[in-house]
Amino acid sequence: MQLSMEELDGGITKVILDGRLDIAGAQEIDLKLNVIAGTKKAVLVDMQKVTFLGSMGLRTLVAPAQAIKGRGGKVVLFGPNEMVENVLRSSKMHTLIPIHHELQSALAALR
Amino acid sequence: MSDQNANSGCEPLTLESELSEIARIPPWIERLAALNAVPERTRFAMDLCLEEAVSNVIRHGYAGEPNHALTVRCEMHRDGFITLVVEDDALPFNPLLVREPPVPASLSDVSVGGQGIHLMKQFADAVEYERKPAGNRLILRFFYPGTSPGLPTVPPS
Repeated sequence: MQLSMEELDGGITKVILDGRLDIAGAQEIDLKLNVIAGTKKAVLVDMQKVTFLGSMGLRTLVAPAQAIKGRGGKVVLFGPNEMVENVLRSSKMHTLIPIHHELQSALAALR
Repeated sequence: MSDQNANSGCEPLTLESELSEIARIPPWIERLAALNAVPERTRFAMDLCLEEAVSNVIRHGYAGEPNHALTVRCEMHRDGFITLVVEDDALPFNPLLVREPPVPASLSDVSVGGQGIHLMKQFADAVEYERKPAGNRLILRFFYPGTSPGLPTVPPS
């Protein structure tokens, strides 16, 4: 699992995930996401290249989102594929971390 | 099993009781899916359910202890379903008796524990548990339309 970052206008940080968010993938990005969660306030998690999401991957997404929201920030998920989105919806995570498929609406939700 | 069953073309997968062993599941599923023309959605569901089932056995059944084994095998059924069977020698543990996680009202309410079993029940079309004389057997069934072209066909009468 690869993680890269891009700073966008308006103080928004785009976090691009690429690969499988399984147990191994979750371990690979846990620390990086926690650092982001401790410093950023508006985070767009680009899920377009995430090919798998399991329960450990969910945990890896939820903990930083909790931290960011706890500091008054916002997190949105952008562009998960159908099956990854099914995992997010089955676990009700979409009610807590909004999912967007249009970049403009994802950015607007963070402003 | 009945003559409705056929070999998936994949050897059973034997795993050690270490989380790093879970990395061996996706390529096994990939091969299984390719050999039997399994649709992508079903492949994803099998991958997800196996990761959750196997990590459950390693973390809870074997309590993280190394040097235990578990096996995963697959049966293809001619009427269009696939069965994955996970067997271990761990203490009795029926994941179907684990309570569903509550629907979270806020992020701080999220209980990620229990999500794995919940996802398994959601993504498999049926989940059955059997107690073995020494160990556990979890049976995951996945239905998909059509019969795999990799399976033997009934000869014309």
